[in-house]
Amino acid sequence: MQALLSYDQSPPLSAPLRFFLTAPLFLVLAGALGVLEGEALFASRWTPAALAATHLVTAGFMLQIMVGALIQILPVLAGANLARPRLIAGIVHPGLALGALALALGFLQSAPGWLHAAGVLLGGSLTVFIGAAGLAIFRVPSTSPSIRGLKLSVIGLAVTVASGLFMLLALAGGWAVPLMPLADLHAAWGLGGWAGILLAAVAYVVVPMFQLTPGYPAKPAWRFPLLLMAALLLWSLAWAVSAEALQRLAQAALAVGGLLFVGQTMKLQAARRRARPDSTFRYWQGALYASLLALLMLLASAVHPPLAGVPAWMGVFGVLILLAGLSAFIIGMLYKIVPFLLWLHLQPLARPGKPVPPMNKLLADKDGLGQWRLYLAALLLAVAAAIRPDWLAVPAGLCLMATAGWLWWNLAAGTRNYRRARLTAVSA
Amino acid sequence: MTRQAERVVDGRFMEPPQPFVATMEMLDTLQPGEEMQLLLYREPHPLYRVLQQNGHGWRTELQDDGTFVVTIRC
Repeated sequence: MQALLSYDQSPPLSAPLRFFLTAPLFLVLAGALGVLEGEALFASRWTPAALAATHLVTAGFMLQIMVGALIQILPVLAGANLARPRLIAGIVHPGLALGALALALGFLQSAPGWLHAAGVLLGGSLTVFIGAAGLAIFRVPSTSPSIRGLKLSVIGLAVTVASGLFMLLALAGGWAVPLMPLADLHAAWGLGGWAGILLAAVAYVVVPMFQLTPGYPAKPAWRFPLLLMAALLLWSLAWAVSAEALQRLAQAALAVGGLLFVGQTMKLQAARRRARPDSTFRYWQGALYASLLALLMLLASAVHPPLAGVPAWMGVFGVLILLAGLSAFIIGMLYKIVPFLLWLHLQPLARPGKPVPPMNKLLADKDGLGQWRLYLAALLLAVAAAIRPDWLAVPAGLCLMATAGWLWWNLAAGTRNYRRARLTAVSA
Repeated sequence: MTRQAERVVDGRFMEPPQPFVATMEMLDTLQPGEEMQLLLYREPHPLYRVLQQNGHGWRTELQDDGTFVVTIRC
């Protein structure tokens, strides 16, 4: 852990932490939408409520944490130094948080003003981040599969942002352009090209490190990011020439690539040498099973497209890939990163005979395990709500609000413990 | 051969920061020009910086099983 995150060039604590502390609130808001909008949320992926909830989870929650984490770990994952991390975080964080809120409001109220504001805030802040991260990562040679993945994921984010901005302008301006195929492409780049490739690039390092597993075999690890990128380029070509068969081929390739990665990670986890399952392991285990199901659904609907029209199909897929899959991977990472960062930034205050509190005292793993159990309940309810939203959308929303609130509470409590330990050490 | 084998830190199933500490300890025992190897399932960028600061040379090779073999020259 120390090797991953510490280092003389560790950014100030506030740079990543500010993202981590606001992100869970967006999951709370997504749960609130489930309570308030109930059936509309699951009626179709194109309802204002569904679009708002999707982007509260992706732009509000996932993106914030991924950006905050990258600011912290780029130097140690790739030897790439992000210039002026405090300044970058100070610009990107408010832009992302306010932009995600404006985007959700814009979708909910079909309000061009909010959509324009979202475009400016998200477009501006993410351009700054992509520029800073790109400058840092493309300067270092691709000496490992992780570095190759990081580079490709930054490209994936850039395409996601560009396609998203175009759609925002089209929606706000009422342009007569077919948005649904582009929205599919935008989602594929966001979830596959950005989140998926980034997840793999990070997993190559953290899965062996956190769980004491064998390493990812080198050849597949080099090829996986390229396979995903090739599939996404094929999908983009299919969109440009309106070739449905080509799009289905690309979708199938994405699904197969994802399944290979998930299968490999499951195999490694089965060979882990750390006996006690902690909250990170539970989150990753759950996320792997959910991703397996979601990717099988993606593959099945590529082979047989009418499946995507089956009632609840897209709702179940969305819950599995976004909440049970990608978000769960991210939360599992948070439970390793946050206590370590708090501990690391207390180290300069340690004195002989007066060590700083251990990580488990700053953020206890039992709190993370409790929060995981409620998260699992929320996931099961959300999957069931996709099938019977009239009965279960409200309980699922309430449960998601509770577990996301608990996640925030755990992170905030860790921060309070850090401040208390700091005051104690300074006044001693 | 025996002496060479002794100069390997297999950090692949060690919890951080043990591989880093063990490597620095082994480096302390080497004479200038001698080499040691560190085995890890990740590329140790933090270690590279310390090696650079201390004037050590290194080369890294990624093997098929995912092991990074870092050969460090004292």
